[in-house]
Amino acid sequence: MILSHPRFAVVGHPNKGKSSIVSALAMDDSVQVSNTPGTTTKRRSFPLSVDGKILYELYDTPGFQRARRVLAWLQKHEVRADKKHEVVRAFIAEHKSDVRFNDEIELLEPIMDGAGIIYVVDGSKPYGAEYEAEMEILRWTGQPSMALINHIDSSDYSQEWKMALGQYFKMVRTFNPMRATFVHHIGILESMSQLKEEWIDDVKESIILFEQYQTQMIERSASLLARLLYDSISMVDKLSIDKDEASKEDKEKIEGKYKDKLRGFEIDTQKRMKSIWKHQHLAIEQDILPFNGLDLFSKESASVFGLTRKELMLMGMTSGAMTGATIDLLFIGHTFFIGGAIGAVVGATGGYFGFDELSDIKILGQNLGKKYLEIGPMKNKNFPYILLGRALYHTSQIANRSHASRDKIDIDRHLDLESVFRDKWLTDDLKNSLEKYHKKFRTSDEVEAEILKEYDLMIKDILRGLINDR
Amino acid sequence: MNINSYIDLYQVLEDNPTTIEDNRAFGLKHKSLRGKPQKQLLAWADKYKSKLQKPLISLSFSSYLYGITITLVILAFIFGLFSGMGLLSYDGKEPVNIIYFIAMVVFLPIFTMTLTALSMFRINQTKSILMHISPAFWMEKILGWLPSSIKDDIKEFKINPLLTNWIIIKRSQLVALSFSFGLFVALLGVVVTQDIAFAWSTTIDITPETFHQFLYFISAPWRYLFPSFVPSIELIEHSQYFRLGDRLSPNIISHASSLGEWWRFLAFATLFYAIVLRLLVLVVSHLGLRYAVSTSILKLIGTNRLLREINQPIINTNSTQQEALFVPTHDGYEQTIEKFKEYDYDMIQGLGMRYDELLVISDSIGLSSPKHAIVGGSNSLDEDDKVIDDSSGDILLFVKAWEPPMMDFVDYLADLSINDNVKKVIIMPIGTLEDDYKTTDTYIDIWANKLSLSEDGKVWLKR
Ligand SMILES: Nc1nc2c(ncn2[C@@H]2O[C@H](COP(=O)(O)OP(=O)(O)O)[C@@H](O)[C@H]2O)c(=O)[nH]1
Ligand SMILES: [Mg+2]
Repeated sequence: MILSHPRFAVVGHPNKGKSSIVSALAMDDSVQVSNTPGTTTKRRSFPLSVDGKILYELYDTPGFQRARRVLAWLQKHEVRADKKHEVVRAFIAEHKSDVRFNDEIELLEPIMDGAGIIYVVDGSKPYGAEYEAEMEILRWTGQPSMALINHIDSSDYSQEWKMALGQYFKMVRTFNPMRATFVHHIGILESMSQLKEEWIDDVKESIILFEQYQTQMIERSASLLARLLYDSISMVDKLSIDKDEASKEDKEKIEGKYKDKLRGFEIDTQKRMKSIWKHQHLAIEQDILPFNGLDLFSKESASVFGLTRKELMLMGMTSGAMTGATIDLLFIGHTFFIGGAIGAVVGATGGYFGFDELSDIKILGQNLGKKYLEIGPMKNKNFPYILLGRALYHTSQIANRSHASRDKIDIDRHLDLESVFRDKWLTDDLKNSLEKYHKKFRTSDEVEAEILKEYDLMIKDILRGLINDR
Repeated sequence: MNINSYIDLYQVLEDNPTTIEDNRAFGLKHKSLRGKPQKQLLAWADKYKSKLQKPLISLSFSSYLYGITITLVILAFIFGLFSGMGLLSYDGKEPVNIIYFIAMVVFLPIFTMTLTALSMFRINQTKSILMHISPAFWMEKILGWLPSSIKDDIKEFKINPLLTNWIIIKRSQLVALSFSFGLFVALLGVVVTQDIAFAWSTTIDITPETFHQFLYFISAPWRYLFPSFVPSIELIEHSQYFRLGDRLSPNIISHASSLGEWWRFLAFATLFYAIVLRLLVLVVSHLGLRYAVSTSILKLIGTNRLLREINQPIINTNSTQQEALFVPTHDGYEQTIEKFKEYDYDMIQGLGMRYDELLVISDSIGLSSPKHAIVGGSNSLDEDDKVIDDSSGDILLFVKAWEPPMMDFVDYLADLSINDNVKKVIIMPIGTLEDDYKTTDTYIDIWANKLSLSEDGKVWLKR
């Protein structure tokens, strides 16, 4: 069966990073990468598809296990050079159900079906003669091929590898799946397109798609973050109360509920972010959103991401923190009948510093007799910056992460090193433009999709700057 | 496109029942809607609204809206009817002054329609005074104080100011129209059931000529079609009425029968100014509301994302197959030796290395042996077999620790072990030359695991 789209089989010795390379190229972190050789036992296909139409396909395969035995069989059937691939086919046909050659058959089959060969070696270990049988078998298949030198460790034997590989492959490239950036990724795709003339167009199209894909992911991340900020700042929560007066417990209860909801928004966003960047399996740890320390005098993570007191004052953001609630009795919101608000602010959460305050808590009366406490929208002027900073940091960690990597990220452990992170994205101009939107979010009935879209675009620009050369 | 479709879309967006794949599939299926975002959104909402929890907000909202509107319309009609009857009440002594009625059916409508037009221009304002002086707005607020007159779901439902304002405007037109009908019906009713003497009277010094000109102007819309429905100058002269003293002008008395002719003029004025014009404004406000719905649709939060998902191709790079899970079961190998024995080995073999390399390695580790041989690597299987035939006694086999142990090695080991002359095989993983042939436990563990797959009494691992 000859399929029309280009296909590539990633093959080689066991444990040299085949699965890691496929993981990185396919941006799929579900691939089992393991330092136990022989983890991959079945080949697995990784198609690049647009709306279901496959543009090219990548195969992760098990490594060679009995290369010398296979080669011996082939050589016993020595024929003219132009018939060699038929001998390989005959080998497959004869050993289809021979468990001894399971791995070889898994990797040879796609090649004999027309897949190009990507032979992976580890350039941080010396070259050895045992590789020759593998490369010889690949030569017998007659399929176009290239070699990729991966570096699992720091030592470098790539010179001797290049010499040896040069004997068998027209093209030898270096690719590190752990550190590969988008540019490297595209570079490898370009090399792959060179393998066969008919593939150039398809692979070129794939490259364009990869670029689109990247943009899509950034766009989706930006909307997600814009929505997080909007939802968190504008969120209003209610609690029914039986009496006319709200007790201390009532106030604590609604405040606790409010904070939990805000934290919930953040956690949910983080989960979605992982799925946008196809890092569902990534373990990433971050302390929950802090609410104390919003005054920024503490050394908590809030202080790393938020604005300083001086900055807040410069922007005139400290005033108004204590103005209390001015409830527009009649025109409150544009809900038909939110009900008249009666009563006043019963307390602001947090201390009395302008920074510390989260939101007013109001007593509202609804219809006859029914009363409830209302909290929100977020009044703390620093909160948006802390939330956005944390989210941007989290996003950049995920987005810049190789899909081949299986370590977990511990954000709070690196935080000290990242105290400059804020300066990477938050300029004075940006502060002013962001503030305009945060202000709108605080008075939520004015926000419409277009406003959110503008905010979204600003975040998109920030993200572009934070995501490695993409 | 009506307010219900807007609310449905809002609710489905909140409910968010679809995946990216669903949305893209929807986009691909409805190719004809491409480039028409509003249509796409509405069709999408239509498709998924069946999945929403009943009752739909749109239904409660429209039934609520309908209920309020009907109430207001009925009240307005009754109010109009009574106002009309009040204005036209004739006690048989004093004639009815038509000035009041004209004010009610001509000036009041023109004034309120002007206000309406103004508020249409300022429609985007959240807090527009013009809106807030509308009774339609206030009724809402007043009813809101009554217990449970509305359901909770619509209480919380935020609707954008543009739409609210258009809803209020449109409803105001309905109410006003109904009021005008009340007036009209009152006029007809009074005319049919009573014989009324109409007259006009004003404190301001207006001559019948001026008044005629004025009425002539007012009746412009119909005077060509129905010239007789414009009060003639004679009629106007005859029906002027002075409140001086308690007596009627002889003029009025002598022309009493023609005074009733006024009603046709009044009926047409009502019909045109209070009803037809109002109908026009109603149509405009209806169109305005439709337009507002169609622009508001794009202002709903969540539509940007949805449209993107509908229109952007889905790019996927992930595998569609499940990974065949490999669970390593072995761990460790029992037969290990920590130290070399005192004696030399009967044979030293090197897997996958060069002969000279092998000699250097055994030399640098301080071992000697009568026989050295290389196996695996670039050897052919026949060459390996020869080495096996040649093997006997205790054998030390060097392997490159960093290379994964492969089945090729397992095969060789099995063949070697079958040879009865071979008493013991000691596998020794070594590091690279750069590391002085020292290696790490991680690598040795990998070899140990491989050896544990085929426990063999003759095979030992040097740790
Ligand atoms: N540090 C580092 N480790 C790598 C790299 N490539 C692969 N590895 C590790 O090498 C081991 C084997 O990788 P894997 O992709 O499973 O190899 P495969 O058997 O050829 O599929 C895993 O533990 C990987 O984490 C690399 O570029 N850098
Ligand atoms: Mg693998």
